[in-house]
Amino acid sequence: MNIRHSLLLSALGCALPLLAAPAVSAAPEYEFLIAANINRNYVIGSKIVTTNGIFRRDVAGAWQHVGYNDTGISAFAFDPRDRDVIYTTTTNGLWRSLDGGKLWRICNDSEMTEGLDVAVDPNAPDHVYLALPDGIAFSSDRAQHLERREHGLPTRGKFTRALAIDRTRAGRVLAGCEIGIYLTEDAGKNWRQVLPTKETVADVQQSPHDPRFWFAVTQSAGAWRSADGGLTWVHVPAAPGDRPLYNVTFDVTHPNRLAIGSWGRGVWTSEDGGQTWTDRNAGLPAGARVWRVGVDPAGRLFASVVQETLFQSADFGRTWRPDALAGSAVKKFLLLPKAAK
Amino acid sequence: MKRPLYLLPLLALAGLRLAAQPSFEGPAPSTVPEIDEDRRRAAYVRRVDEMLGWAAAGGKARTDDPAKLDLAMIAAKIVRGEDLPGCSQRVIELMREPGTGPFWMFPTVCIAYLGRDRLAPEALASIRTAWKTTRQQRGDTENHFVMYYASLYLMAELYPDESAETWYSGRSSAENFAEASAFLIKWIETNTTVGQGEFNTSNYIGEYAIPLSFLANWSKDPAMRQRASMMLDWLFAELATSSLNGVLRGPHSRTDEGAVIERWQAMTSFFSWLLFGNTPPTAGYSGWGLYFAPLAKSYHLPEVTYRIATDRRGDFIQRDRARVRRLWRYSDELSPPVYKTNYLRHDYGVGSTTGGLIDPIQSHVWDVTWAESDPRGKHPTMFSLHPHSSSRAMQSSFTAYPEPWIKGVTFEGKPSYDSPDKLMGSSPYEQVFQDLDTVIALYAIAPGERFPHINGFFSKDLINVTEDDSGWIFAQGGRAYLAYRPLAGYHWIPYLHYKSGWAKERLDLGGRVLTSPHLNNGTIVQAASVDEFTDFAAFQRAIRALPLAFKLEPLPAVEMTTLRGNKISFTFGTVPQVNGRAVDYRAWKLFEGPHLNAEVGGRKLTITHGRLERVLDFNTLSVTNRVK
Repeated sequence: MNIRHSLLLSALGCALPLLAAPAVSAAPEYEFLIAANINRNYVIGSKIVTTNGIFRRDVAGAWQHVGYNDTGISAFAFDPRDRDVIYTTTTNGLWRSLDGGKLWRICNDSEMTEGLDVAVDPNAPDHVYLALPDGIAFSSDRAQHLERREHGLPTRGKFTRALAIDRTRAGRVLAGCEIGIYLTEDAGKNWRQVLPTKETVADVQQSPHDPRFWFAVTQSAGAWRSADGGLTWVHVPAAPGDRPLYNVTFDVTHPNRLAIGSWGRGVWTSEDGGQTWTDRNAGLPAGARVWRVGVDPAGRLFASVVQETLFQSADFGRTWRPDALAGSAVKKFLLLPKAAK
Repeated sequence: MKRPLYLLPLLALAGLRLAAQPSFEGPAPSTVPEIDEDRRRAAYVRRVDEMLGWAAAGGKARTDDPAKLDLAMIAAKIVRGEDLPGCSQRVIELMREPGTGPFWMFPTVCIAYLGRDRLAPEALASIRTAWKTTRQQRGDTENHFVMYYASLYLMAELYPDESAETWYSGRSSAENFAEASAFLIKWIETNTTVGQGEFNTSNYIGEYAIPLSFLANWSKDPAMRQRASMMLDWLFAELATSSLNGVLRGPHSRTDEGAVIERWQAMTSFFSWLLFGNTPPTAGYSGWGLYFAPLAKSYHLPEVTYRIATDRRGDFIQRDRARVRRLWRYSDELSPPVYKTNYLRHDYGVGSTTGGLIDPIQSHVWDVTWAESDPRGKHPTMFSLHPHSSSRAMQSSFTAYPEPWIKGVTFEGKPSYDSPDKLMGSSPYEQVFQDLDTVIALYAIAPGERFPHINGFFSKDLINVTEDDSGWIFAQGGRAYLAYRPLAGYHWIPYLHYKSGWAKERLDLGGRVLTSPHLNNGTIVQAASVDEFTDFAAFQRAIRALPLAFKLEPLPAVEMTTLRGNKISFTFGTVPQVNGRAVDYRAWKLFEGPHLNAEVGGRKLTITHGRLERVLDFNTLSVTNRVK
């Protein structure tokens, strides 16, 4: 499918400087995308019998598939200058399309495998960062070539689950790794640990409202916040911490709203900037097993419940109703500012 | 394998034609080696022809309906020159719905090459088109990568000079070829210097042997052909030293629930049947085995390997190395070394690694496996393990989120993973030492672990099982006497059999599991041949007389003298001692024993039997045979 006319211009980060002021009314229009695997029984080698990969939510609320049918997409990103340049991480590593998803190229060789996250620097859009189970790779030419950039990462402990680029400065990236959060300020040439953990950091996010405010969730050490651009981190005791937290999301429509998705704790939300947290699992399937949470441009909260379907809430988790994509596992929610190419 | 008689009328009513699989349905073959080379080769060719004939006649589909031909059947028909127009048509149909990974890639490569001058151009074009339109998953394990890159290598060679947009990868033929070639050369380099990650697998041997046979025959590059041919020899030499009358016994990097108990029920048995002729083949030649058949006649098993596989007149011990699959997280090393001990005798074999986490789901650490004249349906093995199920272990080896996957893997061919009575898998809380036919397995299970007990397998095929007042449990399996010493209290539960890795239903075929619910724990097993004692009672007296002292606190520790007179001292967390000398694992070679020898980092394997010697030297890509 040609997504030239259906995908949006850029990754969230590329336009987030526009959001540095808390005024919601000035926010641009957005589109809402996900990476979803709907092939529950897929095993390597088998025929894919369902449609998987990137989906865009249309104005009617339906999910439109875009790009390639791939069961293993874990993350995706766009070149902020050109909506046709798409990056996806999969079991094979990193794929790139330059034509809106018609043709794809595998960017890595066998020395890199199982891409876990990908990020494009909005202030240096040729720069692409790839999270790998054994470190971090970098490209200065839109992933035509990839190189390891791991100086300062530990020899062991550099399993990297999440990448987040600081939209205020080129080359400033935070990485969620096995033993903590690592920061680079020179496009990956040097990394330093800014938060030590014993187990994996699952997600790191920058507030769309205040670029100094960051939030991170972990496998076993709960949630953490930073008010100084990720230099120092403070534990958030009010957030659930006894079960793995899979991701955190901000609400682009409301500066104080955040949500966490957790295996075992389900959906938790905060409406005071992360100071207090509330269990929002009433109305969701039992078990509180949530892959991911995301917030759409209208402030609707979405939750991908393991082995179930996608759910949405118009009141930030107080009530829920089933959405579509039965049997899906959403690996990534992405909010893209609408813009012309 | 006996086919249930009650099924026959039903099958007749259904109008199905049973394609004969003679060796599977017939009596077990002789285990006496065939010394005459011509007769041995003729028998091998007959086995290959049996496979091709069975597949061409309908194979598992048991029908010659062209609409039900699969790629294996088509491959056999192409080799035999049968119904080529029908094959072409079926290929076109099958390529309309391509698969998505290495298990689809290598069969299509097989057809693409076999059919080069036999199938219709439209059929060949349909394969090529599928390699453009359908993204192929490379997978996440060693065997996936080998199949993927061998397939990509050969397709890039078959269609050289084609542009990037004509391949699913978005890379040109030259780029695909270079990427695949680099991986294959590095994989061989790794295996010949520090050992294989997926070592001694019961079922994945085909995933290596088949792509290697393709490369050995079809690569245009003589060096790659030579590498692949030598790796085939390497692979089969390991099988020869690790099997007893064609049946693989432990340890294994990866296996499945069926194969770890019904030891013959493994793809290695298919290869033993084909190459050594000393055990029946598995049903349908294990499926994938059919893709070895089209090129099988081009492979000539080295005589030295044949003799190693079939000569069980003398005892031998091999001490070899391998490596743990990549541990992405929560490990000090990416791929730590594995130390294997294999002791083979005429009546039984004893094999082990030193324990610890190897593969989080499918590994098998140690066992005693005895010989059966007909291994089909038999459970000729004894071992114990800690049934480890762990999110952290899953995180170490896999990048997927572990919490949902613990349940998820039970739907992906590993049904027992989260079962307390499982009999497969390794554990960080198990340490093992083997001295000849004595195994000491010690367990120090952390408090709070999901399954705080150990399981010991007692086969339905054991006889004279005796729980002795001394604390030993005596039994006989085949012509092996066995003594099993639990180091803590236990109770019995029924053994429920998984027919295969994909079978979730469980069958009560007999047998028991000794379950010992104590965190600090241990098992000692001592084996001996029936021929060594006047009777079973004499064996029991000898075992009772062995000096043995053990304790479980603060950590399990055993001091004993084995039936072979060696004094063993082994405490959990420490290096074991034999006759006062600590075992120096770091000094172990890649292979060391009477049959296989290689230095770590040496890239050279010497295969020896009697006066026969064959040297596979990957430094020079040369093979040297000599009679000493």
